[in-house]
This record gives sequence, C-alpha cells and structure tokens, in this order.
Amino acid sequence: MFEKVLVANRGEIALRVIRACKELGIRTLAVYSEADVDSLHVQLADESICIGAAPSTESYLKIDRIMSAAEIGDVDAIHPGYGFLAENPHFAEVCESCNIKFIGPSSQAMQAMGDKNAARAAARKAGVPVTPGSDGIVETESDAIKIAKKIGYPVMIKATAGGGGRGMRMAHNEPSLQSAFHSARHEAEKAFGNDQVYLEKLIVNPHHVEFQIVADSHGHMVHLGERDCSIQRRNQKVIEECPSPLMTARLRKKMGHAAVKLAKSVGYENAGTIEFLVDQDRHFYFIEMNTRIQVEHTITEEVYGCDLVKEQIRIAAGEPLSEHVAHATPRLHAIECRINAEDPAKDFQPTPGRIDFYYAPGGRGVRIDSHVYTGYTVPPYYDSLIAKIITVGATRINAIERMRRALDEYYITGIKTTVPFHAAIMRNGEFRAGNYDTGFIERVMSSEKLDLTSPPIRLHE
Amino acid sequence: MEPKDFKEIKTIIDLMKKNDLSVFEIEKEGFRLKLERGPSGQAAAGAPLPMAVPAKTATALTESTPALPKAIESVPLKEIVSPMVGTFYRAASPDGSPFVDVGKTVTEETVVCIIEAMKVMNEIKAETSGVIAEVVAENGKPVQFGQALFKVR
Repeated sequence: MFEKVLVANRGEIALRVIRACKELGIRTLAVYSEADVDSLHVQLADESICIGAAPSTESYLKIDRIMSAAEIGDVDAIHPGYGFLAENPHFAEVCESCNIKFIGPSSQAMQAMGDKNAARAAARKAGVPVTPGSDGIVETESDAIKIAKKIGYPVMIKATAGGGGRGMRMAHNEPSLQSAFHSARHEAEKAFGNDQVYLEKLIVNPHHVEFQIVADSHGHMVHLGERDCSIQRRNQKVIEECPSPLMTARLRKKMGHAAVKLAKSVGYENAGTIEFLVDQDRHFYFIEMNTRIQVEHTITEEVYGCDLVKEQIRIAAGEPLSEHVAHATPRLHAIECRINAEDPAKDFQPTPGRIDFYYAPGGRGVRIDSHVYTGYTVPPYYDSLIAKIITVGATRINAIERMRRALDEYYITGIKTTVPFHAAIMRNGEFRAGNYDTGFIERVMSSEKLDLTSPPIRLHE
Repeated sequence: MEPKDFKEIKTIIDLMKKNDLSVFEIEKEGFRLKLERGPSGQAAAGAPLPMAVPAKTATALTESTPALPKAIESVPLKEIVSPMVGTFYRAASPDGSPFVDVGKTVTEETVVCIIEAMKVMNEIKAETSGVIAEVVAENGKPVQFGQALFKVR
C-alpha cells in the first residue's frame, strides 16, 4: 500500500481523496494555487505545497510543478481527481516515467478512450451499439451534408477532443448544418486545440444512462450498475440518481455486459464510466467513456455499499478487487443534487464570494460532500460546485422526500446557491414520476415560474 | 499655503496626538505632506509642499529639500519570490560561493540563486534592483511557488 499520495486537484474532490487516504492510513500532500490557501483540503492534508497563481493554467494544470512537488514530497502515487489533468494521457505518462503511480488507467487506455471518435470505433469493434453517425472524422462540409442526409436530421456535430458536454453543436437541417459545422470546428480548435469533429444522429429527448466499471490489475472487471444523469442544464449534469427509473433487470444486464466488454477490449484498469443514451424504445447507444472517477460516483457508493475512491487506491497499489465490490448488488435508491455557487433566479449566473454562514443538513440517509464552510470565499477561477448532497432511501420516493426535507434545512448565506432550484425540482411532478429526459430542465425553466423561495429559517450569524 | 490648509494640518496633528500615531503621510495631485512626531511628542512638519504647485517646481522643491529625519523603517522591503516549486540553493555547487549575500547590489538580471526542480538546475534572476537585505529561504530546503527567497532594499 502507498505511504504517501499527492492530491492533484482542489475543492470537494480533493477533500474526498484526502478522506479516503486518511482512512487507509496513507499520508497526504496537497498542491494548491494561491487562491486556495484557505481551502479545507489544504488544512487537512499532512503537507501542502503552493504550486502557482490562481488561474488553473498557472497551477493545477502545471505538470512540471506538480511533479516537482511530488519529488520534494517523496510521494508514491498521485490521485488526479476529476477535471484538470485527470484525463490527460501525457500527465499519466509523465507519472509512469517518474515511477510515481498514477491512480487511474494506463496512459494508453486513457488515450484509446479519450479520443471520442476512436472510442466510438472501439465500441463498434467490440460489438457495442453506437449512435448512428460518421465512420470517423468528418473532414469537409460536403461530407457532413452527405452523412447527415444518410443518418437523418437532426444531427450533432461533436469535437473528438471534447467531452464533459463541451464542444457539441446541433443542426436540424442542411443550411444550419453548414454554419454549425464550421463554428463547431472553430470552437473546438479554440477550446481543445484540435478542430476534428465527427457526426452523430441526435437522439431526441434521450435518457443519459452511464455504467460504473471497476477493474483491478489482475484482469478482474465488474460493473456496479447505472446512474441516470438525464437531468442536465446546458449539457452539464445537475441531478443524478441510482438506479435509473427506466431500468429493468434485463436491460441492466445487457448494458452492463456491453460496458464491461468495451472497457476490457482496451485493457482498462481502475475506475471508469461508460456513457450511453437510451431512447424512448429502450434502445441504448454508446456515446463516450470517462476514464476517471466522476463527480456522481457517490450515488453508486451508497446503493452498492462501497468506497470507490478507496478501491481506486487499492487497485493502483496492486491489490485485487475487494470482495464486497466484486460481489456488490444494488440496495436502496440514491439521489445526488449538485449545489453550485450560481443564482437560479438570474439564469444561473455564477456567484463567487464569501459564504457568511453555512449550515448543512443532517439526519438519517443524508450525505454531504463539500469543502466549504462559514467564512470561506468561493474563488471565481474554477467551477462553481460547492457541495454535493446525496440522499438515500429504501425506495425512489423515499430518497426524493428525504432530499426535499434536507434541502429545506440547507442554510447558506452570503452568496446565492442552487439549493432552492433543487428543492423546486424535488417538488416537480414530472421528476417525481420519473418522467424526464435530457430536455427536462430546459422545459421546466422555460415553461413555469419555479418557486425559488427558501423556507424562512434564520440562524444567528 | 492658505489658512484653510493650516487648519486642516492642525486637525491632523491633534488627531495624531490623540490616537498616538507617529507618522502621517498623504500624497494627492501634486501635493505631498508628511508629518512625523518627534520624541517630545510635538509634530514635526516634514517638507510640506504648497498645494497645487506646478509639477516642475514641485520636483525642484523635493530635490532641494533637506533630508527628512530618517524615515521609520517605513520603506517596505521588496521580496524576491520563488517562481516555481523546487529546492533552493544559494550557490551553483555544494562547495561554491553563494551567488549573493546580504549587502550585495543586484539588478534585474542578477542571478541570485538556483532552484532545482526535477533534476534541472534553474538560475533564478532578481527581477528587481536594490541591495540584498535578508536571505529568507534556507539553503537546500524545498520552496513552493510564491515563497519569499530574499528581501531587497
């Protein structure tokens, strides 16, 4: 087992990793930017090293400084969290060459699945259904038009170097395809330094259902069921639940089998997620693989009774899959709401700033993964996620009622947050009935006036 | 100076006495005033310049003004901070002589130390000019981004 791990991330996931390390008796080294000096995870780590100025490009993305810190700190392994360098094959490679274990898949597996178009090809090869689309990169506008004609509108133009909901454009007809094709390439070049795009048929109002897989370095791989992440706003997930309301035992078996087959075909190790779209007829199509631990890993943990981050560390240290993980079965129902520093009444405008008072809910079946505290200032340089609230219940409706109850206790002042927005969704009939798809949030936001009033609790500040 | 200005300055002096402040300095639109309380507790006006004096004359006045009583260590020392993460070395080799010592004059281009990162010896330049007042970092010890290495006057 490792003696010391460097946490190459920040915020709630850095805290998550440090907690897992502490429980495993592993010493921790936190690297942080000047904006994160007062961060909770920096305080809780055994050691910490400042690696740069606030902007990510000057700190959390600086591979040389992170490796230098790793050397000074004499660490055995690095956990990359999610985002930042978590899916950067070059970073994984640098770790490999410095003999520091990268807690995740190999750089080759990461490369194979990180290129979205290559991942589609791997899926096709493994006999896993993919969304109808181009056979590879679409080079010219006329090719795009030809392919779109064949697969039928509407279509999605996707950047091969994209991911996480970024670098995607929709086109409903030929004229819009022409402009979308060029602007998608231009955007991709700017955002990812790679303008290559491919085409996919746009599946109308699908469910986004992803499968968690875990594999050790001894060839043993299992899936830990699905998460439904259809509740999205602008392609960013906001609410996730496990299991999916549309899942059947038979469909889970089929999709789980496909997920494992695909991940095995590229020699995947450690934790990863295979994303599918499921249409109204319960046909599923592979869209992409995330070669990292995900934000919403928490709901799988609650339902399958495991600690995925600890398992990641164990796997990286060469241990076989834990018994309880290898034989995990789903019990209970879990929901996660991502609490962001955004104002839902003002089109989710980001609200960085000082949290004057923070009180988080508790009680049975409530889990909070958060790095914020009273007096903490949310910096403007990074994503707006300040907390994840997860509720567990015996049934789906129990989990929803528990979330509604807990959100009504969640008291954060000084900045606006999306707590009232989530509370309103928990009361929404369509959501409660499990009748939602990826178009749900847009419909809700455009059609009705959401009741964003918070309960009138006032705590002494 | 106008009577109104004297009144204002007197108010400031009284406030300083009342709150036991020893230095008051203000600079605004070509006007600069520094008041410093001497040992007897009386405020000593240091080179007050008339308000709204044309810039040229103001400079001339500043230059010809007799040296002010030595400013309290109020001139903040500049810091040379680490631009990277690594190990701080004062000399190019273990038995070599340090690049700089207290009292050494440096310019922006002067190499002041080595920071070793991943087996690469990086020469760090002062990027400021002045005289080394203090060596803050410890030889052979790790330094992080932004950590103070030297203080420069």
